[in-house]
Amino acid sequence: MISRYSGIAPKGDLLLIRKLAENLRGKSFLHVNSTRSGGGVAEILQRMVPILEGIGIDAKWEVIEGNERFFDITKKIHNALQGNPEEITPEMWEYHFEVNRSNAANLNLDANAVLIHDPQPLPLIEFKKKGKWIWRCHIDLSNPRRAIFQSLRRYCEKYDAAIFSVSKFAQAMPVNEFIVPPSIDPLSTKNRELTQEEIDETLLKFQLPADRPMVLQVSRFDRFKDPLGVIAAYRAVRKYNDCFLVLAGSPATDDPEGEAVLKEVQELSAGDPDIHILLLPAFSDIEINALQRSAAVIMQKSVKEGFGLTVSEAMWKGKPVIGGATGGIPLQIVHGITGFLVHSVEGAAFRTRQLLNNPEMAKKMGENARESVKNNFLITRQIRDYLSVWYSVENEGRSILAL
Amino acid sequence: MEKTAELKSFEFRACVSLVKAMGKKATTLRELRDLMASVSDNSILHHTCEYFLKGHILEHTNDFAQWAAEGLEERALAEHLSNIDSFGFNRVEDLRAELIRVIEDYLEKFPEPREAMEGDEFYFLQAVTLIFPLGIRAQNLAEFLLGMRYVEAASISYHFYEARMLFGKGVDDFSVWVEEALGKAELAARIRSIDPFMHDAEGIRSHIIAEIEAEVERDMEAV
Repeated sequence: MISRYSGIAPKGDLLLIRKLAENLRGKSFLHVNSTRSGGGVAEILQRMVPILEGIGIDAKWEVIEGNERFFDITKKIHNALQGNPEEITPEMWEYHFEVNRSNAANLNLDANAVLIHDPQPLPLIEFKKKGKWIWRCHIDLSNPRRAIFQSLRRYCEKYDAAIFSVSKFAQAMPVNEFIVPPSIDPLSTKNRELTQEEIDETLLKFQLPADRPMVLQVSRFDRFKDPLGVIAAYRAVRKYNDCFLVLAGSPATDDPEGEAVLKEVQELSAGDPDIHILLLPAFSDIEINALQRSAAVIMQKSVKEGFGLTVSEAMWKGKPVIGGATGGIPLQIVHGITGFLVHSVEGAAFRTRQLLNNPEMAKKMGENARESVKNNFLITRQIRDYLSVWYSVENEGRSILAL
Repeated sequence: MEKTAELKSFEFRACVSLVKAMGKKATTLRELRDLMASVSDNSILHHTCEYFLKGHILEHTNDFAQWAAEGLEERALAEHLSNIDSFGFNRVEDLRAELIRVIEDYLEKFPEPREAMEGDEFYFLQAVTLIFPLGIRAQNLAEFLLGMRYVEAASISYHFYEARMLFGKGVDDFSVWVEEALGKAELAARIRSIDPFMHDAEGIRSHIIAEIEAEVERDMEAV
């Protein structure tokens, strides 16, 4: 499996993965999360576990089970950790713990290293028998509801280490806290190379012109992604440049706020044949890939963002991205080198005009963007980092590790 | 005189910095100064000497200068901090003291600097460094030149930046080997004169290759 990434991922990353695997060969590495499919964590585990097995690690993946009540509670916890006001009663905390207790009785948690993903299975630490236990938090914890995090802290502090995506998400705790950004898989359907036929098929399917520059944003119809701002920026660009706009996202059937935003987007774009609103069903990976590869300029004009991996997805396709300067986007875009960071509709419009009028600059920026993703945001780097964290926890107290 | 006896080969290596949060952040320049005085040596080195491993645009020379410019918008302070030669100190304590002195001087002249906006705070980090061999060895200058041409940029960064501060040598690995194994003191001096603050890894690679090619040419002319 890992050899499939030769020539794609940096050689150094592949070498270090092999070196770490030599040291950890035959040991068991268990991942535990709360869903087998859907969402970024499951998506990356589906790809990562076979790669780990391929390099001689006894990799396992367990999923905790819970009923609707459990997942309602964990959704509230998730929202509160991202800063939303939520009330979690003592009974709810107790239920969160009890569901984990019954899962612990059913799951085989014996492993040399155990990586627990997100807050749903966090209390499993109370049932640790052996090995090094690491909590992997994928959530934006930069501004959590303090009381909620305090209730989780009793579990966090029992782990051997914690991993956060961005340094500002880390909390002051008496455990080792590592920073490991998320990643994309260059071989997945969403990111692999496409043939021209595959790209043309998608353009035909959505009746999009192949001979005019496309400005694209791929995101949920969510206020934080600012689709209305994207339309305003596009209209400002149209005064000077011929182009068309594509807003592609999944319909938010379970999110009343999302439906309202979509309605506003549809009203604002009504009557403009050059604005295409594409409601893509889940798993439209090949279509998203083709749209990104067809676009002249890609926007991620978020006003609030977790990490925003769609930015890396677009950059991997050699596209210059105009991103809102928020969340994890500034970690992915080096302003003026691998894309542009913007703070307003006006900024987004200006940078779009700049890219449309300077195809050479856009091309160079796209090349820089792809190189940056290659070095920093591919799945091989994340595997390298997970193994490094494990190896570092096994060698606690040493800041230089020679392999 | 050049050494002809048994040569110690040069093993190309690379490193990866695994970043750790320290749970400490500064919103103001005074907080930065106070925390700077108490954080680990590893953290000071991570924010200064390891700056070049992170692939920044070379507008500053350390994380503190970058934050002063972009987080606090105190451009003059950023220039002062960027002017500190972080590789020029034998002890981390001395580097730490110089950073603090520059901030204190600035605070004396400008006692009310701006505060960072929410989300732009300075987060103190430290690193665990994993070092690994690339499986490429050079026994002589020709093999070394080939290695320099083809190893990954990460290896150039490791030998030129990271190694000089990891083991307290103060100089890069390349010039040490050229001098000690090949006896080429002048070539070593020319490699040491490359300004570490003015180039990225590819720039360092080009300069060293140019110096070696010139050396090989001189050797051939001498024959």
